Amino acid sequence: MSKATSGPAAEAASDRAVLRTDGVTKRFGGLTAVDDVDIEIHRGEIVGLIGPNGAGKSTLFNCITGTLTPDEGRVYLQGEDVTDWPEHKIARAGLGRMFQETRIFGDMTVRKNLLLAAQEGGAGVSSLMRRPDSSLLARTDELLDYVDLGGLAETRAGRMSFGQQKLLEFAMELMSEPEILLMDEPAGGINPSMLGNLIDYIRNANEEQESTIFLIEHNMDFVMDIADRIYVLAHGERIADGTPEEIQNDQRVLDAYLGRE
Amino acid sequence: MSTTDEESSGVLRSILPPEQVDRFLGTCDDYGWPLLGIGALVAASFPVLGLQGGYYMTVLTEMFLFAILALSWDIVGGQTGYPSFGNMAFFGIGAYATAILTKDFALAFPVAFLLAGLLAVSSAGIIGVVVLRLRGHYFAIATLGVLLVAQQVSRILDITGGASGKILLQTPSAETFYYLFLGVLVVEMALVYYLSGTRFGFVLNAIRDDEEKATAMGFNTTYYKTAAWMLAGLFTGFAGAAYSLFNTFIDPQTAYNGAWNVELIAMALLGGSGTVAGPVIGAFGLHTIIELVETFAVGWQLVLLGGAVIVTVIGFPKGVVGTLSEYASQMDYYKHGGMAATDTDDGSEVSADE
Repeated sequence: MSKATSGPAAEAASDRAVLRTDGVTKRFGGLTAVDDVDIEIHRGEIVGLIGPNGAGKSTLFNCITGTLTPDEGRVYLQGEDVTDWPEHKIARAGLGRMFQETRIFGDMTVRKNLLLAAQEGGAGVSSLMRRPDSSLLARTDELLDYVDLGGLAETRAGRMSFGQQKLLEFAMELMSEPEILLMDEPAGGINPSMLGNLIDYIRNANEEQESTIFLIEHNMDFVMDIADRIYVLAHGERIADGTPEEIQNDQRVLDAYLGRE
Repeated sequence: MSTTDEESSGVLRSILPPEQVDRFLGTCDDYGWPLLGIGALVAASFPVLGLQGGYYMTVLTEMFLFAILALSWDIVGGQTGYPSFGNMAFFGIGAYATAILTKDFALAFPVAFLLAGLLAVSSAGIIGVVVLRLRGHYFAIATLGVLLVAQQVSRILDITGGASGKILLQTPSAETFYYLFLGVLVVEMALVYYLSGTRFGFVLNAIRDDEEKATAMGFNTTYYKTAAWMLAGLFTGFAGAAYSLFNTFIDPQTAYNGAWNVELIAMALLGGSGTVAGPVIGAFGLHTIIELVETFAVGWQLVLLGGAVIVTVIGFPKGVVGTLSEYASQMDYYKHGGMAATDTDDGSEVSADE
């Protein structure tokens, strides 16, 4: 956020932000992995985060989710300062995350994976001790059909193919309906036809349920196609932000990717 | 089922079709409560039908005892994925608690029994907060350390009778212990069976499969791990609480028995860890074998135990129940189809959550 626009208007804009980081910095020993990064994501946006390898994208994600605590700067989720919260509390406050390497609970059935993701009831003892009710079960069937995994509900999740596991992980996020979903390379390692499906699912979720998505991606066609806005990191610093067209024509971005700096 | 036994697997398939195994396991699943009730009633009827105190009643009582220990271990070791080598610590705490409370404080056995359970569960809470920060080998070694420390403490203190232990002469009848161990086992089985279908049980399994992911989904895993550990401590403590009087003698070696610790883990693995029936079946099976060996080949029981562990871990890492359910469901994935049923089918794990 630039200093010139500070004032009531800017504050109102920040309040609408689902996720905002303010000068987040993370150092590992002498290396500054993330350097004074500001980002702001509003409801219903799909925002991309790109940058060369080692630019600090995943570290920034980890600082946001609470896996790492930033050395400097603050992270706000829906206007609330969550910087020092433990990871599970941030997640419960509405931040969903899909990992770079697909992570599902391999020894549990597909259905149980989905039931776990359902957030309703929270962590209260009474809801923990209840068996899942029929409306929840119906919702799992609905979601599995939606991502073409119908019929696999009772299969052990670890038996499915990699792409199917990725779809399951996405369905788990749809089940939990987070305020904002962080995806680390959703297009990584899945075949083109399944990628097409995944793009459709992400678009649908965004358009129909106003899901807010923040994603790291190396597949440029994919990210330029799907994102409303893009942030570019290089050497931990935010070097550009803008629409996909602006980013594609930004000289600093081109230099960073081609190694000229 | 490895790939080398394609031939024998074909024969096996014709004798025992996976569909039938699947149907059988499904039936067991659907009728879990009636089955548990029938089992409990059958076991409870033996003394009524004329089983007298003596060798056979003692063996059955010990089977119930080991089933409690194996199932308790499995709550944390199998369901949550934290293999402990120190469960016997809570057994010893419970055993000494009733011994001291009934002998030195002249409390009635039922009161002492409940207090012993309370003591075991609170020690589990305190110890759990410390050791559950560790994972894998480190957790296993730390729990083993807890067991050794507890054993040494009982050797040093006066109230525990030091190394020579305590002789307990005023004890309830053999029948009382038969029903007490059976009762504790049935309650524990019912509780674990119920929990395995609830969100709490799902979270424990999720911690076993991928604890980081569970955290990222908003679960405070420390809280769940500690709860599971305390539950295991409670039932292990109850088993110990009844054991000291049942045995009429307690000393550091029997209360914190390292060999039993291995035995109960072997039982859980043999039967099928991560399931309700598995550890109980494993306990009944292995204890029967151990008793037979003790009768007909005295002195070989530990050799047998070691052999059983090795064969199980290599041949049936999922135990009886796990191997059966894997066998039953091995075609499941292909039947229900997948768009890309190509990779990742290593077939090395199983989903027997019930």
